[in-house]
Amino acid sequence: MDPYEVEFIGENRIISVIPNFSYDKIYLICGEFGPFRAGLPINVPLWLAMMLKQKQKCRIVPPDWMELDTLENIKEEEKRSRFFTKMPNEHYMVEAKLILGAASEDVPNAAEIKTIIKDIWDIRMSKLRTSMDALMKSGGGYGRLDHLTMMEINSAKPLLPSAMDYLLQIQKKAQQRVQQPSALNTSTFSQSGSSQNT
Amino acid sequence: MDLTDDNIALSEDEEEEITAEVVLKTLQSAWQNERLAPEILPHRNDMVECMLGQIQHMERNINKLPKTDLRATIHKMELSRIKFIICNYLKTRLSKIEKYCIPILNEERQRVESGTNFLTPMEYKYAQEYLLNMENHMKTVVLDKMPGNMQMFESNKMAEHPNMQSHVFLKANETINGVVLEDLAGEDEEIDLEEGSQHILQYKPIADLVKNGKVQLI
Amino acid sequence: MFAEKVIELLKEAERNPVTIDPFNDDKIRQILEEMQTLFRMNMNDANATTENKSLWTTVQVRHSALERNKRCLLAYLYSRMAKIKTLRWEFGAILPADVRELLSDDEYEWFTKYSMNLASYMRSLGQDIGYNGIDLTENLKPPKSLYIEVLCMADYGKLELEDGDVILLKKNSRHFLPTSECQTLIRQGILKQIS
Repeated sequence: MDPYEVEFIGENRIISVIPNFSYDKIYLICGEFGPFRAGLPINVPLWLAMMLKQKQKCRIVPPDWMELDTLENIKEEEKRSRFFTKMPNEHYMVEAKLILGAASEDVPNAAEIKTIIKDIWDIRMSKLRTSMDALMKSGGGYGRLDHLTMMEINSAKPLLPSAMDYLLQIQKKAQQRVQQPSALNTSTFSQSGSSQNT
Repeated sequence: MDLTDDNIALSEDEEEEITAEVVLKTLQSAWQNERLAPEILPHRNDMVECMLGQIQHMERNINKLPKTDLRATIHKMELSRIKFIICNYLKTRLSKIEKYCIPILNEERQRVESGTNFLTPMEYKYAQEYLLNMENHMKTVVLDKMPGNMQMFESNKMAEHPNMQSHVFLKANETINGVVLEDLAGEDEEIDLEEGSQHILQYKPIADLVKNGKVQLI
Repeated sequence: MFAEKVIELLKEAERNPVTIDPFNDDKIRQILEEMQTLFRMNMNDANATTENKSLWTTVQVRHSALERNKRCLLAYLYSRMAKIKTLRWEFGAILPADVRELLSDDEYEWFTKYSMNLASYMRSLGQDIGYNGIDLTENLKPPKSLYIEVLCMADYGKLELEDGDVILLKKNSRHFLPTSECQTLIRQGILKQIS
């Protein structure tokens, strides 16, 4: 999947904004939101929050987790544990990118927060690389990866699944040779149906 | 009583709205699965048509609003998001239909008879036409000019099959016990997928779980 | 003689994953001729092999070359078909003249049929509810309301945006505007993008 597609999915997350206008409820297909009252916080999907922010119709209320102490704790936990810690939500990276990108003035300590989030991402990516390496070396065709978010899993594609596919092919071929050591390979062109839609 | 009538009317409206919302969520899951599964999945045309109806209805309402109304802009943005999901979903399916047209048509022929078809009638027609065009093209350009008995379009050799053993990531929507992972050495391993857990493994053992919604590809 | 030409053909096809080369009519004809020759030789020798078993291997090798030529020719066509399909999704049903030139007449006919098949399918979408069909070749990327920050370089006056907002562009004023609506003014030097 494209990172933009993962971002698209993450944009459905609900966050809080403070509008500078007033409107009755709006009935979107994905849900109803409102009524909008200038100065009062209201929950809307992230994509809508971004649009309103860009049109200068609202302020963003940073999510609870987007705050120095919380993030420091998460970072420490991530450093300490050899497993992946459970992140505040499935799309923390998408929220961070969009909110800190378009509305950093609404986020206290935005610059430090950007740094801590990047640090957390780097630690997790490094763990992911180590895990992928270990998985391949163990010849395994199976792994458990709880608490990895969609964006992180997407970054492992196509490398990890492709590598595991190839490993399986190699293992199969090796097994075939063990079973038929003297078979003359008379068919010069065997169809290998390995394919994945991109 | 008046109050009761109002309440019934409201709940009916609410049900309709909740239904559209649920359809959208379901369609988005279906899109995600279709993007990530190596094989073509059973179609969700009912969801697509429901969304198209919603889009049509919404577009009519938007046209009644002045173009500069903020609400119009908001609705338009949502509609373009839904259109993206629909278009990308259907295109992904077409790509698979084109790539695997020979095995898909073979399998679909049997499935149509038992009413368990994966393709919509229009997709099926598209697949048939696509294969026919490809065959004719190859015949005209090279096959008919080949010597003697080499002129045949050998479907079994031309066929490309999806790799059912390719590795995929998934999340378990509920707890599933006893998924059998085949080992090459014949030593099968059985694993349990706890609700909410995430895994990477071969697609084949969990193909049915994707189709019945028990797992979500990620 | 033994399927080397066809490899050159395939290398040509796969050299650039994105662009398509002109259809190599010439090479294809040569390869087909090669196949006819191999086949004829085999026919002759096949009759003789009943008496002379040592010819059997030669016949097998030629047969393998024949099969390889067939498979690779089909692969060449198939590889080009894949690129031609992309053209339909990128350019639409009408190809620019310089692209059309790269296709053989047969390929162009196949392109037309592919295009019609696609159009027919797209038209059918939502038929039951009175929809006019959807163009799947649009809406392939996630929609983004892209805004950029710009600095106004000169007094321009009022700019009316698509959504009705009116912005006053005075020299040195900064604004957040939809990317699509700034392009002209940026090109004219009235607005400058601040990254």
